[in-house]
Amino acid sequence: MPEPTSDRTRVHRHPERGDHDLTIVHRILDEALTCTVAWVDPQGGPRALPTIQARIDDTLYLHGSRAARAWKAVAAGAEVCVVATLIDALVLARTSPHHSMNYRSAVVYGRARTVADPSELVSAARAITRHVLPGREEDAAEPRDKDWLETLILAMPIAEASAKVRTGPPVDDEADLALDVWAGTLPLQTVVGEPTPAPDLRAGIAVPEYLKGYRRP
Amino acid sequence: MTTEAPTPRTRVRRLPELGVYERERVHAIIDEALYCHLSWVGDDGDPRVIPTIHARIGDTLYVHGSNASTTLRGIKGGVPIAIAITLVDGIRFARSMFEHSMNYRTVVVYGRTEEVTDADELATVFDAITDHVAPGRSADARRPTPGELRQTTFVKVALDECSAKVSEGFPEEPDDDLALDVWAGILPLRVVPGEAQDDPLLRADTPRPSYVTDWRRPGT
Repeated sequence: MPEPTSDRTRVHRHPERGDHDLTIVHRILDEALTCTVAWVDPQGGPRALPTIQARIDDTLYLHGSRAARAWKAVAAGAEVCVVATLIDALVLARTSPHHSMNYRSAVVYGRARTVADPSELVSAARAITRHVLPGREEDAAEPRDKDWLETLILAMPIAEASAKVRTGPPVDDEADLALDVWAGTLPLQTVVGEPTPAPDLRAGIAVPEYLKGYRRP
Repeated sequence: MTTEAPTPRTRVRRLPELGVYERERVHAIIDEALYCHLSWVGDDGDPRVIPTIHARIGDTLYVHGSNASTTLRGIKGGVPIAIAITLVDGIRFARSMFEHSMNYRTVVVYGRTEEVTDADELATVFDAITDHVAPGRSADARRPTPGELRQTTFVKVALDECSAKVSEGFPEEPDDDLALDVWAGILPLRVVPGEAQDDPLLRADTPRPSYVTDWRRPGT
């Protein structure tokens, strides 16, 4: 198993759940629909913002409004920390201290650069659209030049990163196995409802195939 | 009902019409979310974030972890933290990439941590965190022994400085995009349980409780 790329990506608690294999980090970043971006404000306090991410190879793309103060700080080169989390199951043990979750989480540290190159802007916009729904990037109209006046795209390397993964049944102490309490796991999944067309949708436009049977990669 | 942001940093500046400051609505989002993203400033001055489970009692939010956890050692001593909570209700498909969005409910909480040391409060919080995940579970599972309690650190933060941002409805697009030959609308998303899996070591004839078979998030 690869070694952590820095001390802060080392998984200290339950090190057996830690993984520094970047392909696992990539998979979690791809499957999670959203992430949280944290940075430190000029007053020294922590700030956190939920957003959507997208990945192209070893680069993580984030986007936001140019008018937002949050993104101004990140664009100015503030150190950021990004976390994405997937909950796979509730883990119910016989004893409350041994309750847990089966989860997969990824943390990426680094600094972001502001994307300015027009072709990279388009690839990033397509990647973000594709992240939400593969196939949609072929269908939806690409951003116009004026859209980039409002939207900022940021890129950060996925280099200093780690994953933490728990799987399997609950782990109770031997002495508690005789307790008359149900124990096991309850898998969770995100499912889609029926696509609801916009009230102003032009007549005769069918629900696209990529919307049917939607699931995360 | 409070409709004002408690502080400048909790005021929703971007799309201010999406800002929600009423306590009951903010609390409902906190309660429905299974976990949160907790951030703080590391000793090196850089940001840190971890996913963790939270529970709310009244106007107080609690998080917990092992005494051995570097995170808990880092945050228990009255440090500033930021907590982000996200619920995604649907994907909003616009005709242009630019106008794509999500229907979401998010909460951000700012505050200063305080370690929980009172024995009664610790016991109550342990139950609250267990019940946050599966309401009713705390009455069933064996409660922590005093020794187990001593291995766990609980930290609380007052829900004084928090706000929500709620985005719902259909895409709003400029008129010239409405003519595009592209489907637009909402794809609703929700989290549902699958079939419960018994622990391989489960004693025979232990029934699955109803809070497992009928599990759902509060408010859904």
